[in-house]
Parts: sequence; structure tokens; C-alpha cells
Amino acid sequence: MKQLAWLIFALLLGLATSVSASERQPIIVWGLAPGPDSKGTDALVREFERRYPQYEVKLLSMGAGEMNPQKLLTSIVGGVPPDVIRQDRFSISDWASRGAFMPLDEFIARDRNEPNGVREEDYYDSTWQETIFDGKVYGVPMDADDRILYWNRRVFREKSDALRKAGLDPERPPRTWSEVLAYSEVLTEKNPDGTLKVAGYVPNYGNTWLYLYAFQMNASFLSEDGRTCTLYSPEAEEALQFMVDGYKLLGGYDNAKRFTDSFVGAENDPMINDRVAMKVDGDWILNTMSRYAPDLDFGVAPAPVPDDRYYRRGKFANEKDQFITWQGGFSYAIPTGAPNSEGAWQLIKFMSSTEGRMIEARAQAAWEVQRGREFIPRIKATRESNEQMFAEFRPKMPNYAAALQEHIRMSDYGRVRPPTMVGQLLWDEHVRAIEFACRGDKTPERALRDGQAVVQRELDSYYRFEKLPEADLRVPFALAGIALIGLTVAFWFRVRSMRLGRLARRETLWGFLLISPWILGFIVFTIGPMVASLVFSFTQYNVLSEARWVGLDNYQLLFGEEKDNVLKAFGNVMYLAGIGVPLGLITGLAIALILNTASRGIRTYRTIYYLPSIVPTIASSVLWAWILSPDSAKGLVNNLWTKTLAPWMGLTPPAWLTVADWSKPSLIIMGLWGAGGGMILWLAGLKGIPQSLYEAASIDGANPRRQFWNITMPMLSPILLFNTVMGVITVMQEFDRVYVFRGTSGSAGPSDSLLTPVLHLFVNAFNYFKMGYASALAWIVFAVILILTVLQLKLSKKWVYTESS
Amino acid sequence: MTSNLLFAIGTIGHFVGWVFLASAIFQIARTLSRSGDTGRTASLRSAFGSTIFALVGFGLGITLAGDGKALSVPLAWPDMHPLGWLFGLAMIGTVTFALQSISAITVAERKSKIVGALIFLAIAAFSLWWVMRGDNPFTLHRGHIDLSAGAFGSILTLLIATAALMGWVGRSAESSERVRGVSTQLTLFAGAALFMIPFAWLMVTSVKEDRDIAGTDGLNWVPKVSQTVPYFNDNNPLFEAQFRGRTVQAALERVVDAEQIELRVLKPMNQSGYIFKISKNEAKRIPNEAPVVSLDWDGVAATAFVQEDLPDGTRRVERLESGKPTGEVRTVPRAETEAVRTVGARWRNYPDALEFLPPEANMGLTYLKNTVILVVLSVIGTLLSCSLVAYGFSRLRFPGRETLFSILLATMMLPAAVTLLPQFLIFRSFGWIDSLLPLWVPTFFASAFNVFLLRSFFQQIPFELEDAAKIDGCGYLRTFWSVLMPQVKPALTVVAVWTFLGAWNNFLGPLIYVNSQENMPIAYALQLFMGERAGEPGLLMAFTALSIIPVLLLFAFSQRYFIEGMSLSGLGGR
Repeated sequence: MKQLAWLIFALLLGLATSVSASERQPIIVWGLAPGPDSKGTDALVREFERRYPQYEVKLLSMGAGEMNPQKLLTSIVGGVPPDVIRQDRFSISDWASRGAFMPLDEFIARDRNEPNGVREEDYYDSTWQETIFDGKVYGVPMDADDRILYWNRRVFREKSDALRKAGLDPERPPRTWSEVLAYSEVLTEKNPDGTLKVAGYVPNYGNTWLYLYAFQMNASFLSEDGRTCTLYSPEAEEALQFMVDGYKLLGGYDNAKRFTDSFVGAENDPMINDRVAMKVDGDWILNTMSRYAPDLDFGVAPAPVPDDRYYRRGKFANEKDQFITWQGGFSYAIPTGAPNSEGAWQLIKFMSSTEGRMIEARAQAAWEVQRGREFIPRIKATRESNEQMFAEFRPKMPNYAAALQEHIRMSDYGRVRPPTMVGQLLWDEHVRAIEFACRGDKTPERALRDGQAVVQRELDSYYRFEKLPEADLRVPFALAGIALIGLTVAFWFRVRSMRLGRLARRETLWGFLLISPWILGFIVFTIGPMVASLVFSFTQYNVLSEARWVGLDNYQLLFGEEKDNVLKAFGNVMYLAGIGVPLGLITGLAIALILNTASRGIRTYRTIYYLPSIVPTIASSVLWAWILSPDSAKGLVNNLWTKTLAPWMGLTPPAWLTVADWSKPSLIIMGLWGAGGGMILWLAGLKGIPQSLYEAASIDGANPRRQFWNITMPMLSPILLFNTVMGVITVMQEFDRVYVFRGTSGSAGPSDSLLTPVLHLFVNAFNYFKMGYASALAWIVFAVILILTVLQLKLSKKWVYTESS
Repeated sequence: MTSNLLFAIGTIGHFVGWVFLASAIFQIARTLSRSGDTGRTASLRSAFGSTIFALVGFGLGITLAGDGKALSVPLAWPDMHPLGWLFGLAMIGTVTFALQSISAITVAERKSKIVGALIFLAIAAFSLWWVMRGDNPFTLHRGHIDLSAGAFGSILTLLIATAALMGWVGRSAESSERVRGVSTQLTLFAGAALFMIPFAWLMVTSVKEDRDIAGTDGLNWVPKVSQTVPYFNDNNPLFEAQFRGRTVQAALERVVDAEQIELRVLKPMNQSGYIFKISKNEAKRIPNEAPVVSLDWDGVAATAFVQEDLPDGTRRVERLESGKPTGEVRTVPRAETEAVRTVGARWRNYPDALEFLPPEANMGLTYLKNTVILVVLSVIGTLLSCSLVAYGFSRLRFPGRETLFSILLATMMLPAAVTLLPQFLIFRSFGWIDSLLPLWVPTFFASAFNVFLLRSFFQQIPFELEDAAKIDGCGYLRTFWSVLMPQVKPALTVVAVWTFLGAWNNFLGPLIYVNSQENMPIAYALQLFMGERAGEPGLLMAFTALSIIPVLLLFAFSQRYFIEGMSLSGLGGR
């Protein structure tokens, strides 16, 4: 042990000296991850550093900028935000409304006459409008992506006879929803076991979500004044119904998802490999396609629209635009409290200038050409840079040039998501609605209405906030502090009145001194936070602004409108506790029993069985995510399955973590791999049973089975109790694995099947900063664990053997 | 339903048949190798019985579940709600208790058995009711393993050989122990292999090329690497040079003058894009790694290496003759070339994975450093504070001790979730966000479970020891440190091991508190890596392997403490 300590010490020393210091001011950028092919970004950043030698740019992805706001929010609240954040534009107003982003108007006004200055008139109007909240500008738009239909001519040609037979023209893509479904029906090919071989059209593969289809129906997601959420409308319902129908003819959402999820890596893109006939996607895919399949024979067209819209009839009779698209893109913003906002602004200015954009494009182009690939520029948010870029980098291959042209043409028919303070929630709920409806868990109307209710509640609470009584959080804490001091003083007087001898007094003093670390910790880290948590649970509190009293509203929510989610979360962990914990115990015990009878090799086997249980959770989650991959070409388990059970019994391999029915069993299987931890305890228990008991039983003529039930089990019962109680408590707080597996947004695992109470709490607390609601939930978790533990301990009196009795 | 039931019976019969067949062979081998006549007759009789049972079993299998195929193994699997299984178990319990109640001797015993049977029956009834509510309460998946005559023969031979060997080994009563020993070893070995497969898969995947992981040819256990040859490409010269104190690979950006050139860094990845001036002498020209391909060269299969990929979808290749360039160059479409790959490991995944990390991560060493700091400080803090507090609670008498200790016990049931949010706000007010402080400082304030565990160990030490120390003039601290601490070493190991694993595994903490690379521990870094590099599983698995290796190494060095510690904690939970 001593050598080990020295080893660690030496290691620390060595590591500590390797840290280097830099004099340049850092500019920390989140949401831009440099990769092996991101030479444009590299060049842009290095050129900036050359021109502004006082700055050093640090690019980090941090999972930020995309759909996961947790990290950014905790860093802003914690006062250690990055300097620049690359943020999806639709959620800018969300952050701005909470005061999390800095308004850029002063910077813009100051530098607008510089050659690199940011000028509103240079930008496409829709992109600029998305960055404005309450009349202030909070971000500088980078790109302006839009979505069009890509169709694989090769697949169309191969199936031309079948298409003709169905009365469809194989020479042109579908233009309407009913056409796209008809084409998809003919082009889709299934394997004998029902899985997809070729998919005609997957409604949400590529990049459409519900937004595109709903925009095509002229649905809006918010009322004009931004106070009413209209996620549900007959138009949106029809759009969602189209998605449901599209999935139905592919054999269901899960079947399609298993298919599309299995193509990892850009070179395996199913469109390139003729596995998907049509998809609606953004201009970013052009670079990937040209990189991996420069000779792909594809065509483009505007995304198919509702039939009525195409034929201009019904409510679309007076519609101006026949085809439309959904526009999005990213912006750069500066979080409030950024330590280096001036440097951040300089960087943003440089990156969004035409010069900067051209430096990026040229470097990227040089890299691609060197690799023998064609560079296709992305569509930017300013007209000038687009014009220059297309003049310089017009694709040579005609179909790529046509695709780019179509993207640019459709930019004029772009629709954007409404700026709102609940943009993130609206997005998340809309994703959930898609999943619930397409999986058939809810009707489209129900799914949309449920999502709408959640968003509406958030909007209401935003607008009602000002009217709520202000909560001075210092008062309850002062009261708690006074109570604590009172208790201490009372205790002090009691001890004094006890008239202890000198020695006893000394012992008392030392006693308190010795336990003082715990007392301090108890006050600061346990009872204090508990009081705080209780107080928070009666407030609406987002940390960035002051708290307001809401009384029992949070608890009402838990047992009212949020009941389904809460029940689902507890139901999920109950499932894990009810099936996973006993299975784990039995596996551990079985190994221990066999190991206990072995005459040799015990140490080796013990090590081998124990090893998986010390593999860090995150590492084993990453590993098992791959082992349980639904794609049988990739996942170990399904590979074996397709070679054995599939031909033997005709069973389709399950899609494990990607379908609701199998996601929890996947966690249980993962858990069984770690059953060796429990095994060690069983083994110790078995060794502790006196051999004389067995000898006596043998003499009495008890067979091994009787011996097991009448000696081994009673003697092991305290360990069984310990393992059960600890196992249940651990499972009730399941977080790490479900966090890794849940995906980035929308539901927690397929159909919320991986939603656990602690994950629900975490998301509410750190994604939406609903501290009040999360605190109330924490108390429910506490109550449930308390009840379960007390129940187990009470019941244990009946079956646990104690030596005294 | 009836056909399903019959099929299930047939399947069970089939497998029972195999068991009895093995048993028959075992008995025959035993008979042949035995000497005494009495033993022989008994063995022979049971061999005969087993054969009859085997024949009946196979007969049932073939007639009920054979589906007309003689050489096939029938399979059946009931697919039902988990509670369906509970129903089955509860029914077994009911029947067991019912039978026991019949054979019970005393009235009281009978009564308790009947109560037990009724409880199980109630559970069974409830789960049956629950299962029948669903749409598809029960389906029986059925099928066959079709065996070729050869496969059937080899399984049979293997079975006969094993059973015969065991029969021979276990020919005497004493040596039947040996049979049991051998089968135990076999079971343990099979189980151990199963438990090791994920590790093996991790290692193999971590040295695969990406194309082998998600390719169309399916999963393979033998990694292959693409062959390359060194080639000096004058259109795209590569250099090795010193930049900011480290060796980098760089491409030529432009020639400044006769003396100097400007280079653009390519590798390591986290320095990529930097442009720097350097004198020509200091930059060493290095060859590109040109991929070797096989192709059709005027009707003859040949190998060549790719000089350059051209933007029009073709590549310029030079033919290779037994590994040497021939100077014959031509341009061919990319689709007509096939990469030459040989069996081998792509170890480069490991350095590549680390080079991807931002420069602050210092090739992952920063993560390791942070994790080690976190773990060491947590272990020290926990050991110190918990043993002091446990000492206070167990060996000293003072007013309020019992009350305070029951409060401590009560906090064991408090889930971390309750205090999570307020603690975040407390640490925020300390200005500790984006540091490791919130992760280890609390360990210096004792945790309930460890105090409880240590206290029960302290209590077992006889008071005489302490009294002797007191007489010698030791103060409380001295007694604690020199007399009591050495006595509870095993318990301290337990606490150290649990704290170590807990700190190494901690993910939620860093997820909330740590933002910058400088403070990031391994667990969180791995999760971020997973998000960024999902498309490059080779690198991801290499990084995963690297994150596991330190724990396994430490385990290898201190296995005894781990396992002893873990064992003790179970007993401490009594």
C-alpha cells in the first residue's frame, strides 16, 4: 500500500509540473468542435489569432449550442460562462428572456462603420429577426440553412417498372404528400423478418421534424402576441398525421428508427448506399455527399407539400407560395458575464465578416481539393458572402450545382420558428409529440395537446411571474439559523446544569470536538440544504432572477398535470427495482455458490467475475451502447442473435435501447454484467457460515436442498437484506446510465421509457432551471425511498435471521 | 393453444432425452470401469432406466415438436409480461407449500404452510389478472435448430466422450467428487468467458478501422489494417518540424524565400491550422502515407499505390511490383480500386483519440490528473473525518450522543437528490463552480454510512486497550491514532475502496460543476467524447479502454484490499 501511495504522489508531482502558462487572453468558444476535416474553422481561428495576437481562442464543443442547454445554463449561473457560444438561432430569445445573453446593440452600433462591422442590412431579414428579443439584438447569424427534397435517381430507375405500374412517373420526384406516400410504398423494400432493406421516404429522416410539415400547412406554433401556444391546431394535427402515415407504411416508427439509426459514419449514409430513396434535408449534407459519393446520381426538388396546397384548392385557394421551406441556422452570442466580452465581440465580428467567411471557405476548399473531393459552400446569412462564395466555388458537378441553386432559390420561401422565451421547451415538447404519435402511444391530437399544455403552462408562469409575491429567501434561512442557535444554547445550558466532573467535562468537550466535522457538514451540506429545498419547493425560482412564492403550486403540478410523467418515472425505476435487483442478487448468489464449491482457481475466477463491477459506469455505458446496437452488423448481441435465434425461431432481434419495450431490459442486462460486486459479499457470507452446522445437518439426514434452505439462506439473510436495501436505494436514484442513453432532446429514451425520478429532477432543475418544481420532486423521491426502506426493514423482521434470536 | 402446449412438452421431452442419454452413457462407462459386482448391477440398472427415459424423451420430442424433422433440436420460448413469469414462480411456490402442508407433522406447522400457500396463490392470481388485461398476454415462440448429419454426429460424439470420461473418472465413490469438481470448473470457465467477452470486444474494437465497425460485411473479430507505402508527393509535400516546443506534422503553405518556408500544422489535431515560418534546414521532409490498392491493370490483377486523389473522382496510381514502385503511372476511376488490407491492429487509434482532445487536456493527462486528485483527496478526507467522528461516537461518553447518532443514521436514507440543488447554490455562492472543490471538500465532513460502519468496528475493540493507553498518559488523539486506528485497518480499507470507486465513478458532480478542460475528470470527459466522436467508434473505444485501464491497473496492484474490503462491508452491514 505504501509503494502505491508513493506512486500516486510521484504521478501527481510529474503532472503538476507539466502545466504551461500563457500570457494571451483566452477567448473560450463553446459549440464549435474541431474535427479532422474542419480545416476551414482551424484556418479562420488561427488567422484571427495572427491578427489579434493578444487573444488565444479555445474551441470546445461541451455538448453546448446544440439542444442541450444544461451546461451553458449552469456555467452562466455559476459565473464562469464561455466568451462565445454558437447557439441554434431559434433558442436565442429563450436565453435572452432570462438575461443569460448580452445584448449586442452597443457593440454593433460602435463598429458598424468598420469594414468588418456587423450591419443589419447585410443579413437576410428572417435570420436577423430570429436573434431579436424585446427589441434588442442578442446574436449574429452565421448560416441560413433550408430544406429541400433529395431523391436517389438510381433507386427510382431500378424500380421504374413497379413505379409505372402504380401509375407513378419514375422520372420525376413526388410533389405532394399523397404522392410521396405512394412513391414510398412502392420504393420501400422489406426483409423477410419485417425489417427495412430499402426505405422509400422516412418522414423525419434528414431534417424536417414537425416544423416543416406544419409550416406547409400554414400552422403557427404561437399566437401573434406570443402569449398562447398553438402547438395543437387542426393544421398541425394533419401534418403530424402525415408523419404517422409515412411511418406506418415503413412498418412503424421503431422499425424505421432501427433502420436509420444503424448507419453510423458519413460514408455509410443510406442515401449514398441506395438504401433510402428520398429524404428532405438541409444544404449541409452536400459536402458529405460530395466527399463520400461524388458520382451519386441524385435529384432535388422542393419538399412535397399538402395536396391542397399544391393544387391551390380548399383553404390554400388564395395561397401565394406553392412550395415553402423551413429555415434555421446558428448564431454566435455572448453569454452574460463573459470574462472577455471585448475579445468575444472581435472574434464574432471577424468570423461573421465576408472576409472571415471567405478565409474559412478557401481553407476548407483547399483541403477538400487536396483530398480529391469537391468543396461545396454552405449558405451563409449574408447576401454578400453568398454571392462571393458562389462566384468562387460554384460546384462543377451539375447535380450538386443544381442542388445548391435550389437551396438558394428556396431561401426566399423560408419560414422560421417563432422567437419565444419557451423556444427550447416548445422544441422538446414538439419532438416528444412526434415520438408519441408516431409510436402510436397517443393520437396526434392528444400528443400535440399534451405538449401544448406543458408549453402553455410555462408561458403562463412567465407572464404571471411579475404578479407573484416576492420571496425573500433570507427570511427562512435567518429563522432556521436562529432556531439552530437557540437549540445550541438550550443544549449548552442543559449540559451545564448536569454538573459533570472535571474528567467528564473534558470527555464531553473532546467528544464534541471529535464529531464536529460531521456536525458542521450536517449543518452546511445536509440540514441547511434540506431547509432550502423545502423553501424552494414553495417558490418559482430560476436562480437568474429572484424567487417568487407560489404556495403549493409545485406539488399540485406533481400530482396534477405532471402526474403522468412522475408516475412514468417512478414506474420505470420500480420496474428496474422489481426485476433488475432480484435478478442481480440471484446471479451474484449463483456465482458465489458455485465458486464456493470449487476446489481450485477460486482467486482467479473471483477476480474475473468481480472485474466488470469496477468498470466506471460511463465507460461501461459507452461499451454496452455499442454491444447492444440494434444493427446486427455492428452490435455484438444482435450479431449473435441473427446467427442463432433468428434462423432457429424466426425471432427478429430486438432493437434494445432504441425501443421502449427493450430499453429497461437492456439496463438490467448491463447490470447483470456487474453482478460480481454482490457476489463478493455473498462469498464472504458463505465463508462465515460455520461448517459444523452443515455437518450436524448431514448427520440428521438433511439433503443438500434442505441444507440450502434451512442453513445457508437463513445465515445469508442479513446480507440479502443489506443487498436488497442498498440495491433498491441505488436503483431509485438511477441517473448516470439513463443520462448517457437518453439522447439529446425530447423524451428520455424511447417513449420516456428511461425517464427516472432523478433524471426528471435534473432536467427540470438544470435544463429549465425550475428550481421550485425540482425541489418539490426531490421531496417526493425522498418520501418514496423512505417508505420503501422502512417497509423493507419492517418486513425483514419476519425473515432475517439474527444471532440473538 | 393445445398445439403450443404439446410443442412445449415435446421440447422439454427432447432436452430431458439428452440429459438421460448423457446419464446412461455415464453409467455405462462407470459400470465398465468398476470392479465390484454389486456396484456394477446397480449402475447397469440405472443405465438401463436412463436409456428408457432418453428414448421416451426423444420420442416425445420427435412426435410432438419434431415438425417432421428428425435431426433438429426443437426450441420454445414463452413470450409474456414479466408478471407472467411471476405467475409461474408463484404457482410453483403454491404447490410446494401445499405439498408441505400435507406432509406437515404439527398443526402449527400445517397452518403456517397453508398460509404460505395462500399468499403465493394470491400473488399468482394477481399477476395472472394483470397479464390477462393486456392485448397479447402470451405467445409461444417456437422453432428448430436444424442440424446437419455431421453436426449431429459431432455433438453426439462430444457428449459420449464427455460422459464416458466422467464415468471413468468417477468410477469409485471417492472420485465422484472429482466429477463434480470438473463440472464446477467447466461451469466457472464458461461463465468467466461470458463475463470477459465485453472486455475482449472493447479491445478488439479499439484497434479496428472504422470501416470494419459499421461495414456491410458484418461484425468481425479479426481487425484489419489498410496497407500504405511511403511516398514523397511533390504536389503536397509534408514536413516534420518543431512548433511551440513539440514535433508537428505540417503541410507547405508557401515558400517565403530561398531560406524560409511557411508551414501549416496538420497534426497533432489540436494544433491544426497554425501557420508558422521556419528555415528550410529545420523542416524535415517526410513521406506521405500512400494507400495501397488492388486493381485491374490491363487485364492483370495488380497492386498499386495512390499518388493522389483527383477532384473529378479519379485517382492517380503507380503500380507496385512485389512492394516496389515501378514508375508506371496512370489515372483510374476510384470505384475500380480496392484497398489492400491485411490482418493487424490499428494501434494508431489510441494516440489519435488523445490527439483529438483540446490542447488543454494535454493528451488526456489533465483528465487523469484531475481524477487522481479527486480520488486521493476524497479518500483522505473520508478516512480522516469518518474515523474521527466514529471514534467520538463509539468510545467517548457525552450528553446528547445517542440523539445525535440517531440523527446521523436517519441521514443515511436521505437521497442526494434532495440536497443537490441547494448545494449547487451554496457552492455557487462560494464561487466554486468550475472547480473540483465541490466534489471533494464535502468528503472532509464525514458521511453517515462510513461513520456507521467504522463505529461498529470501533465498538468491537476491548476497552482494556484504551485504558492501558490512558494509564500511559496518552491523550484522546494519541489513543485514537496509535491504539485504535491500527485495530480497524480492515474497516478503513473498506471505506477507502468504496470512496475510491465512488469518486472515480462520479459523473453527476462534474456534469454540474465542471466546465473547463483544466478541471475535467475522466468520467465526464468520456461522456463528452462519446457525443463528439459517435461517428468514429474506433477512437471512442480506444478512449473508453484508456479510461478503464487506470482502474484495472490499480485493481491489479491492490486486488487483495479491494476484495477483502468489499467482503467486510457486507458483514458490516449486519
